[in-house]
Amino acid sequence: MMRSLWTAASGMISQQTNVDTISNNLANINTTGYKKEGAEFKSLLYQTIQDQSTDNSGNPKPYGIQVGLGVRNSAITSQYSQGPLMETDNDFDLAISGNGFFSVQKPDGGVAYTRNGSFHIANGNLGLTLSTSDGYPVLDTNGQPIVFDGTYDESKLTIDENGELCYPDSTGTAVGSGIQIGVVQFTNPTGIKKLSNSLLQETDASGIAKMEANDSAMQRSTIRQGYLEGSNVQAVDEMVNLIVAQRAYEMNSKIITASDEMMKQANNLR
Amino acid sequence: MVRGLYTAYTGMANEQKRLDIIANNLANSATVGFKKDSATNQSFDNLLTLKIRDKSEAFNDRPVGQMSLGVKLGEVYTDYGQGSLRQTSNSYDMALEGKGFFTVDVTDKAGNVSTQYTRSGNFTMNKDGYIVDGSGNHLMGNAGDIQVPENTGNLVVDSSGGVYADGVYIDTMKITDFTDYNYLVKAGDTMYQALGGATETVGSAQVNQGYTEQSNVNVVSEMIDMINVTRAYEANQKVIQSVDKTLDLAANSVGRI
Repeated sequence: MMRSLWTAASGMISQQTNVDTISNNLANINTTGYKKEGAEFKSLLYQTIQDQSTDNSGNPKPYGIQVGLGVRNSAITSQYSQGPLMETDNDFDLAISGNGFFSVQKPDGGVAYTRNGSFHIANGNLGLTLSTSDGYPVLDTNGQPIVFDGTYDESKLTIDENGELCYPDSTGTAVGSGIQIGVVQFTNPTGIKKLSNSLLQETDASGIAKMEANDSAMQRSTIRQGYLEGSNVQAVDEMVNLIVAQRAYEMNSKIITASDEMMKQANNLR
Repeated sequence: MVRGLYTAYTGMANEQKRLDIIANNLANSATVGFKKDSATNQSFDNLLTLKIRDKSEAFNDRPVGQMSLGVKLGEVYTDYGQGSLRQTSNSYDMALEGKGFFTVDVTDKAGNVSTQYTRSGNFTMNKDGYIVDGSGNHLMGNAGDIQVPENTGNLVVDSSGGVYADGVYIDTMKITDFTDYNYLVKAGDTMYQALGGATETVGSAQVNQGYTEQSNVNVVSEMIDMINVTRAYEANQKVIQSVDKTLDLAANSVGRI
C-alpha cells in the first residue's frame, strides 16, 4: 500500500517540476533570445515482489513479478531552435540566424554567452563600449571588448552579416573596420548552463566555445542588424503541455486518495 | 470458518499489489517511451476437501470437492503496443513506429559495459559527438556507438535509421527486436534488459526524426482499473468483517441462556 502512495507522490512531484518548466517558458514568451525548456521523465527502479510468475497457461515465465516504483525527472532540456526574427530598426539590435552565440564579458572577467542581441553603446571604463543592456561588454573575435575611441560617428556604423563593424568611407561605401563581433558555437548546446539575465555558460557537457571565425569547416551563422530574436516558445504547445501536466497531476492525486481509502478500510476491519 | 479470513486477506493483499502497478502506470503517463504493465490474478492451487469421521457416512472418508483458498498475482506483463507520436521538431528526438528498440551502450559507475534497449528516443549529442540519451549512454549503430563530427550543423535520420551528418552518411541505428518479449525485463530509466535465452532479431520499426513516442498508458482504463481495485478491496474487507461477526456470534452468543 505504501508503495502506491510513494509512486503516486513521485508522479505528482515530477508533474510539479513539469508545470514549473512550462510556467517559466510562458513567463519568458516575450524574452529576447529565450530558448524553451522541456522536462523529461524516466521511470524509477523496478522491484521484484514475487519470484515466480506464470503465464495464462501456467508455464513459468523467465522472470518474477516486478513493480515499478514511480517516475523521476531525468532532465530539463533546452531546445536551441531558431526563434523568430523581429524587426526593431534599432542600429545595435542584432539577431543571430543559425547556431551561434554572442560572447560577453561578465563583471568578474569571465566570459558568458547569449542569444540576446539587444546591445547598446555604454560609457564604460575603457570608453564607449558596445555592451548588453546590463552593461556587460560584447567581445569581438579576439575576445576583446569593442571600444570606440571617438574617431567614429557611431550612428553611421553598420554591421554586416559576419558581424564585422563597417564604417562609410569618403564616398559613402561601407568598409570593414577589421573589428568583428565574436560568434561562437558549441558542440552540444543542450549542455550549456543557463545563468540569469539570458546569459549562458559553457560546461564540460557543452564542450568549449568554438569561434566561428577561426573554423572554416563550421556552418556560419549570420547576423542581422536591426532585428532581435524572439523566444522560440510556442504558446499553444505550452498550453497543451500544461493541460497534460495538470491532468497527470490530478490522476496521481486520485491514486493517493484511493490508497488512503483502502488504508482506511483496512483500519476499519475491526 | 477461519479459512475465509485468510482467503479474504489474500484478496486484499493482491489488490494492494495491483494498485501499486496502476500507480506506476499513472505516474509514468507522461514518460516518453514508457510501456504500461498489467497484472493477471491467479487462484491458489486447488485443494481437495474431504469429509472425515462422519457417522452418517459410516466413518468413510468422502471427497467433497475442490476448493481454492485465495488469490495471488499470476504475472505482470508489459503491453508493448505503440504509443502515440508527438512532434517536437527537435532533430535529436527519435520515435520508433513499429516493433523494435533503440540499442544503447550503458556504462555503469563501476565501468561495466552492458547493452540495454529503450523506446525512449530523446537523445542529444555530447561534446565528443556521440549521440547520447538523457543519462549519457551512447546510442549504438550497426558499427558500434554512433559518433558524428563535432561541428555537425544538420543531423538527418532517415526512416530506416540511417544517420547523416551534414549530408554525409555516418552509420545506421541498430534497431533490435526480440522474438519473445517475455525475456525482456524492465531495468528502470525506461530501459529494458535482455535475459539469457532471449533471441535478438532485427527490428522492423521505422525511425521518425523530430518526434517522441509518448507512453502507451491509457489513463481512462487505468482509472477504471483503479475503481475496480478499490471496490474489490472493499468487498474483501466486508468478507473479513462478516467472518469476524460470525466468529463473534459463535464465541459469545452460542450457548448463552
